Amino acid sequence: MDIETLKQKMDEAHYVYDDNLITTLFVAINLDRPLLIEGEAGVGKTEVAKVVAAALGRKLIRMQCYEGLDESKTLYEWNYQKQLLSIQVNMGKTDDDTLTKSLFSDEYLLERPLLQSIRSEEPVVLLIDEIDKADEEFEAFLLELLSDFQVSVPEVGTIKAKTKPFIVLTSNRARPISDALRRRCAYLYIEYPDMEKELAILRSRVPHVDERLCVQIAQAVHDLRENEAILKKPSVAESLDWAEALHALGVRELTPELMKSTVGFVLKNNEDIATLSEALDAAEAEPEETEEYRRRHEEGEHCHDHHDHADGHLHDEDCEFEKTGKHCGRHSHA
Amino acid sequence: MLDTEVYLEKLALFGRLLRQQGMEVSPKENSDACSILLSLDMSDRETVKTALRTVYAKSRDEQLKFDRVFDSFFLSEEAIRAIDKRHQKEELERRKAMEEAEQALSEQTPNVLYSEAQKEAYSQLSEEEKRRLEELKKRMKGTTDRSVPLYTDFIRSVFMKYILEQQIKMEDAAIGAQAIDPEIGILFKDISDFHDNEIPKAVKYMQDLSSRITGELAKRRKGAKKSGSLDFRRTIRKSLETGGSLHKLAYKPSRKRKKQLVILCDVSASMVQFSEFALRFIQALNEASESSRVFLFSEELKEADPFHLQNMDAFRDYVRESGVYGKGTDLGAALKRINDERPSVLSPASVLIIVSDCKSIDIGGACREMDRSRGRAGKVYCLNPLPESKWKYSSSVMALSQKCTMLSCSTLRDLGEACRRLTLS
Repeated sequence: MDIETLKQKMDEAHYVYDDNLITTLFVAINLDRPLLIEGEAGVGKTEVAKVVAAALGRKLIRMQCYEGLDESKTLYEWNYQKQLLSIQVNMGKTDDDTLTKSLFSDEYLLERPLLQSIRSEEPVVLLIDEIDKADEEFEAFLLELLSDFQVSVPEVGTIKAKTKPFIVLTSNRARPISDALRRRCAYLYIEYPDMEKELAILRSRVPHVDERLCVQIAQAVHDLRENEAILKKPSVAESLDWAEALHALGVRELTPELMKSTVGFVLKNNEDIATLSEALDAAEAEPEETEEYRRRHEEGEHCHDHHDHADGHLHDEDCEFEKTGKHCGRHSHA
Repeated sequence: MLDTEVYLEKLALFGRLLRQQGMEVSPKENSDACSILLSLDMSDRETVKTALRTVYAKSRDEQLKFDRVFDSFFLSEEAIRAIDKRHQKEELERRKAMEEAEQALSEQTPNVLYSEAQKEAYSQLSEEEKRRLEELKKRMKGTTDRSVPLYTDFIRSVFMKYILEQQIKMEDAAIGAQAIDPEIGILFKDISDFHDNEIPKAVKYMQDLSSRITGELAKRRKGAKKSGSLDFRRTIRKSLETGGSLHKLAYKPSRKRKKQLVILCDVSASMVQFSEFALRFIQALNEASESSRVFLFSEELKEADPFHLQNMDAFRDYVRESGVYGKGTDLGAALKRINDERPSVLSPASVLIIVSDCKSIDIGGACREMDRSRGRAGKVYCLNPLPESKWKYSSSVMALSQKCTMLSCSTLRDLGEACRRLTLS
């Protein structure tokens, strides 16, 4: 598969991508390398696996990692109850060796995601999600699969992959991933999207939301990410949720009041919400020089609604009031 | 064919350069890079760069290193010539400056041997600093005639001090120039250089780290369950699930006594920002220990009230009003008071953690008391906010590092690693 075909397939799957992602995917697919994706939570790491599965027309097998995950939950487990039943039923009917051998056959093997992915007749996409949540022992256990596409089951021996799965591992960097695992993977880091890409994602994923509102959401989310005081930056998933929430409320324009009341969709901790509220209150108390202000100032229009024309105003050489007697929109005029 | 060979040769050289930058480049990676280049349109520089980055770089840090090497390696002929010319010019200037420095130093301080690094540091001194040194020499001229050896030693020590400061500055500049992951850059930044707006981010990182370490501890305790004796009752009960077969054995959890932490925290003026960070960590990790006692010291010693340790704002005020804040550092006196006046504090079950830059007065006394404390406590660690590369410039740090396990924690990453080591050891 060449890059252009891959792009076409990603387009068909309605995924907003950049050249970096496409080239990395191309390399990983062509070299049959597992792909390790890192990035902040909610930037679309898991989505890449789903979209690749859709683009390649393969089945997606997902394995969610967590602390304490072991091979019985990821690779295989023997069906003990069925084995015990079989022993009791066949006791005396068959000789011991045959019975023992039959107990460790496919009939009693419960396949878990890793085994499923390598025993599948059709190639699949295997998503190992949030590998950083699993234990280091599990990481070491994965190495054989990632490098040789095979696993070892003590009672059966080594099982080689019938078809090579495309493996995607994701990590939020909650803990460092071992070098051994990294070396076996192609690496992709997904950053927060810039405003243009965020807008494209909003247009693609929530097409029913008003275009003007999408622009305002993208701008607001971008500003929140730029804000150093915000500890947990909003992710793409959160901006999509926010757009849906605002749409459900029938909102057409994002105002500071609406931002305050719906901020829970985009910021997820109290400190950040308090920081935003303070920033919004400060902005309300001291309105910034908007485009409208500037235009009016340049045109030297009278601004009735903002000034009480008290004595003792600031003098400014550039002030239109000084020259023309018209109000400028910046100062209080006597 | 010739083109392919040239590319392969360049790629091998590029791999070697990446290795020089500390990246692990195996033959497998080189072979992957070759095969992917053959399947790509080589006319687009960015595509080639991204493809090679995918093959070679395995982390965010490595991506940044890769970009730097790639951008300086794959250049047009003109750019290469321009860079070569610039390097030649810089080398000529450097040699000239070194010769001048050598000459100036031999005139200023005859019979003193300087290393190449010291000469280079002298050549980097500003004209003003050089002039100041020369003026000092002129001012001291009268003394020269009276006592030549004394004068020579004094001038030499002044020169060495200036040169040492310059070397430290140059090392700092080199550390600052290293490209690091912008997302986690704060972990590598010197804690004493934090701006106010970076502190909340740093605190959040520490909270995450401490909860992670607590998780690791819990996991260890869970893992240690098997080390206890066999629990017959639970094993028999479990066997009922498998028709009476003893399929899974259950073990009694073994009880492990937690260590008692004794924290001796330096709160002299230069240490206060760091002490606050360190204490936040220690507080968060407190549950790893059965009990902990915190002492504050500068020239005097005072035990911190556990109540104030619960809240960092209250703690900060408490430290400032304690009477020990902002004075000089006398580690020996502090340890002596613990050893003599509170002998029950240190026992084989306790771990003494000294949070200090170790720039203490009476270093001999500090070393003696450290030996005594080491004999009484189970383990003695020192968390030093000075970067390890600077320890060699301080004789007190070097002396104390021989007496206990000294861990550098100038950055959040180092502090995290040190705390992990303390907790899991």
